Amino acid sequence: MNHSSDFEGCTCPGPPTRRDFLKVGLLSGLGLTLGDFFKMQAMAGTPAAGTAAAESVIFIYMSGGMSHMDTFDPKPFAPIEYRGELGVANTNTGDVISGLMPQLAASADKMAIIRSMTHGEAAHERGAHNMLTGYRPSPAIVYPSMGSVVSHEYGPRNDLPAYIAIPGVGDPFMGTGYLSAAYGAFSVGGEPQADGFQVRDLNLASGVDPVRMESRKGLLASVDSHFRELEKGDSLDAMDSYYQRAYALISSQTAREAFNVAAEAPEMRDRYGRSYFGQRLLLARRLVEAGARFITVVDGGWDHHVNIRDAMRGQLPAVDQGLAALINDLNERGLLQKTLIVMCSEFGRTSRLNKDGGRDHWPKAFSALLAGGGIKGGTIHGRTDARGAEPTQDPVSPMDLAATIFTQLGIDPARKLMSPGNRPIDIVRDGKAVRNLIA
Amino acid sequence: MLLYPRICKALVAGIVGLAAAPVWAASLAAFPPKIQLDNARDPQRIVVVKTRDDGVTLDVTKDAIFRVEPATLATWSDQLRLNPAADGEGQIIVEYAGETLSVPLKVQGAGNNPPMSFRNDIEPVIMRSGCNSGACHGAASGKNGFKLTLFGFDAAVDYDNLTRDARARRMDAAKPAESLMLLKPTGGVDHEGGTKIEKDGPLYQMVHRWIAEGANNDPAELPTLTGIEILPPAGVLEGAGATQRFVVQASYSDGTDRDVTDLAVLASGDDAVVAIDGTGLGTSGSRGETYLMARFGTFAMVSQFISIPADTPLNWPDVQPKNFVDEFIHAKLKKMRVAPAEVCSDEVFLRRAYIDTLGVLPTVEEARTFLSDTGPEKRGALIDQLLQRPEFNDVWAMKWAEALRVRSIANVLDPKAMHRYNDWLRQSIQGNKPINELVRELLGAEGGTFTSPASNFYMVVDQPPQMAENVAQVFMGVQIQCAQCHNHPFERWTMNDYYSFSAFFAQVGKKGSSDPREFVVFNRASGEVNHVKSGQVMAPKFLGGAVPDLAGRDRRAVLAEWLVSPENPWFAKNIANRVWEHFMGRGIIHPTDDVRVSNPPSNKELLDELGKRFVAYNYDMRQLIRDICNSNTYQASTQPRDPAIQDVRNFSVAQVRRLPSEMLLDAISEITETKVKFASLPLGARAVQVADGNAGNYFLQIFGRPTRESACTCERKNEPTLAQTLHLINGDTLTNAIQAGDSRLTKRINEQAPTEQIVEELYLAAYSRPPRSDEAQLMLDYVAKAPDRSQALQDTYWSILNSKEFVFNH
Repeated sequence: MNHSSDFEGCTCPGPPTRRDFLKVGLLSGLGLTLGDFFKMQAMAGTPAAGTAAAESVIFIYMSGGMSHMDTFDPKPFAPIEYRGELGVANTNTGDVISGLMPQLAASADKMAIIRSMTHGEAAHERGAHNMLTGYRPSPAIVYPSMGSVVSHEYGPRNDLPAYIAIPGVGDPFMGTGYLSAAYGAFSVGGEPQADGFQVRDLNLASGVDPVRMESRKGLLASVDSHFRELEKGDSLDAMDSYYQRAYALISSQTAREAFNVAAEAPEMRDRYGRSYFGQRLLLARRLVEAGARFITVVDGGWDHHVNIRDAMRGQLPAVDQGLAALINDLNERGLLQKTLIVMCSEFGRTSRLNKDGGRDHWPKAFSALLAGGGIKGGTIHGRTDARGAEPTQDPVSPMDLAATIFTQLGIDPARKLMSPGNRPIDIVRDGKAVRNLIA
Repeated sequence: MLLYPRICKALVAGIVGLAAAPVWAASLAAFPPKIQLDNARDPQRIVVVKTRDDGVTLDVTKDAIFRVEPATLATWSDQLRLNPAADGEGQIIVEYAGETLSVPLKVQGAGNNPPMSFRNDIEPVIMRSGCNSGACHGAASGKNGFKLTLFGFDAAVDYDNLTRDARARRMDAAKPAESLMLLKPTGGVDHEGGTKIEKDGPLYQMVHRWIAEGANNDPAELPTLTGIEILPPAGVLEGAGATQRFVVQASYSDGTDRDVTDLAVLASGDDAVVAIDGTGLGTSGSRGETYLMARFGTFAMVSQFISIPADTPLNWPDVQPKNFVDEFIHAKLKKMRVAPAEVCSDEVFLRRAYIDTLGVLPTVEEARTFLSDTGPEKRGALIDQLLQRPEFNDVWAMKWAEALRVRSIANVLDPKAMHRYNDWLRQSIQGNKPINELVRELLGAEGGTFTSPASNFYMVVDQPPQMAENVAQVFMGVQIQCAQCHNHPFERWTMNDYYSFSAFFAQVGKKGSSDPREFVVFNRASGEVNHVKSGQVMAPKFLGGAVPDLAGRDRRAVLAEWLVSPENPWFAKNIANRVWEHFMGRGIIHPTDDVRVSNPPSNKELLDELGKRFVAYNYDMRQLIRDICNSNTYQASTQPRDPAIQDVRNFSVAQVRRLPSEMLLDAISEITETKVKFASLPLGARAVQVADGNAGNYFLQIFGRPTRESACTCERKNEPTLAQTLHLINGDTLTNAIQAGDSRLTKRINEQAPTEQIVEELYLAAYSRPPRSDEAQLMLDYVAKAPDRSQALQDTYWSILNSKEFVFNH
């Protein structure tokens, strides 16, 4: 992670500052863990009352702090040192977004833009914690990422891991927090864009057919039984759970095939763009189609302290093409209503360009995009002032966004999960689903 | 070592007696332990704590009887606050339940009611009320046109903003109550932040008076804050709802002190264990331990409190301490009402000791020898023997290489230089070079990166601030990187600290040599570090220490002397804690490289003692390891005494830990008698010996080997993942190792070894124990029934190498 700060003229150091508050995990005295896994399991039960609009989420995380002024909240009438030089594209709903996003502009009727995202954390890791977990960072506990909560609530479907990260777990707060490591993301471990991309170890080793695999499994279970009766621990439980999932995944041809992005027609691959970003989204679509619950796609390099104009010209077209393709492709397949697409960043960027032609961190106001999954298309929710510095209407907190996502998935945000030490903790606290966004 | 026997005797007395009847001395203590009232507005709370025989602390302030002698010195007001009445010296006699205590009392300036000070009175009001937090006016751009510095780090700027900006309308000396500074936070006019200060309350009165006095700036000779304490510093509360009152004491440069409980910001590390309110009243909740933190000015301090349920008697088993490690651990466990686990079996000890000390499993022969040895001191003897083995050097060379971020960097750190560096580390460990000496050589390194390998220390990072950050994190366990850009809100490090510490590295020079792959590190004897905001040249200053005399010397050598000296309170304890963590799976301060006020040690006394001993042992890691490994604490079983309680922080029970990635891979190679080829190492080299953080293979990567991109211990990951599981089930690592033409199994099959022998050997190699009869039978049946014997035997290897008893250190 490229770590920089909101303090002018100063480039903050490398990654480890996240350690400020990270890994304190079991801060409270005894750090009671025995059986917590089972208790959480028991509490899991059926996740929610009510109906789920969305069955899956594709959570696209633009790491570094994507500028709202240059993407979804342009200010064409602000002075040049604010608005920048990228221009605007007219959306098919009568609004404007960045001039570098013409394809998304033409699909705006299928998406909702929140222009009034706001929080108070201007450091990358703290902002990321807000957006990925729906909680402000705490010194006492590390919260689970939304993907881990969904994995905990729903578990695997069609033998696919519930929570998958493409290309990998790109942020420490995409982790399981106080939940067991069993709810962690499965990293596909490579770029779907690369020639010959494949996820390793999904197929049985040569010389091992399904029958022999079955007898190996039986033998391993017997070998393990004595030790497992004796020893307790969350990491042991988590490993058991991963073995069950691995067996299921290995034995399902359909589940394994979902990772095979090369099975897509060349035209389809072109449609998403042969970029890293486009092919990650294409794989996400395959996985969602096959039953995965929560796909996180991480895209880095949005921390533009310097020359944001040229950087955006380089980076945004792939985003425009890939995301527009995803929305429209899902729509054509009849999957858009069941799939919630979320695109966000840890924060936005300062409305005035700095002396280096870049923008610095700005958590007071930024944008997020939602589409599908029961979200009302063509919505613009909230607004910022004339220079994009502060929300002036309908501010939305990361907690509100998280509550919206969980609500659409049919998970009650007020439900409590058990953390170590038997402390029940709300899935989302102080957040309300944004009704205006919901169809 | 002078201190130890005294502590130890007391502890032993307590421990020996405890099984029968507790003999801890009952005691009464007052906080603060002496009282000094410095002027008419310096009232002081007093708190009296009784420590019960069983360690439980009771706040008996309300039930104690106080007598001021002479009575003319001071008077009492609400909440047991003592107010000065007349100058003089005397004492306060405290009586509770037959015990008596004398608290010295000194009153000076009773008739002096000094004016309000902006820095010492008004800034604390602003901070306590939350006005200068990052979410409010402390934000980089302020809030709604009014800006304060974050947590009041620049009082001069705050003073100007309050009194001069906005046409000074924030102040009205003639009608103070009409000042925006009072109207806004009391809700007298619209305030987005809501009501922050109670109208006419004590904080309001302070600001009101300051404005009425003319909202004056402070005189130049104003005493400055030098530190704070939150008292009592520790305690044990019994039963939910037990209370303890806390007092926050501030000390100033003129020798005065002050009760700032009402002005400090108070918080609990975990409200569920002990909560604290704004008046300093703590209330216990669920079982556990937490800290109560006070912040005042730029200082933060904590008090550590344990909460135990009511009616939790101490059921102390017949466990005797083997050495000082156990004594300190037991003392803490008694307070927590947790009994230590039993001592583990020989089989478990053997495997654990090999993994932790050497990073390898005992061979089949070694396991047989140890398990059949009937000598009484065989564990201690084994530890001595392991500490002399070469594999020990590999483990610690790897650990140091990880901390020092040894890796190749294109055009900067050539593989040849990197290998020299790694070899130098290994040889240093092998030669038992005292760690202080190792650090001195690293910091003061000069010369070619080939010929003088320690100089590569300066090739890993480029700029003085990053060198300083690494030194602080690796050798002191302190993270200062936040202070590059801002003073830390909760911790002690300021930007001044950061840049003046960086200045020690300002004169490190690097130049090319005749070989384009080699660089030469030298002392340029010129160059400075400037503060990023003020631009001021920063004189080198030890972190949390003095400004040294550098005349004519290499700054780094001066720093190294201080770093490893007793004046540096961090070094010895930090290294000792890293050693402890390696063997116990968790630091006493954890993570080990995140020492800060809000991350207190779980057993301060033990950490202090380990640090002292490390110095007394002349920084010899092996000596310290001997102490740790010989303790019953290290040799504890993984089964908690009370299954309802699994302790993670207090070391009552051993933790089940997955083998680190390198050791897991090496163990697979060892058991299967195969070799993995690592780039630029001869075939047969072990993963632990891979020098380059950028090297390795898929297995090492997914099992969490650090890439050494930072010095952070958090780079190493031990959590299980689906990718790991898939790789163990299907991956080529196990498949190749089991089936290789020269693998242990293939050799046995070719030798036509009986299944019993193959299975027994496999169990001894992987688990360091022979199979139980049911286990042996299971394997025999499996092989007998299978259509293909070779495949079935491969399956037995596959299942053992996928099993938890193998993958975990337990």
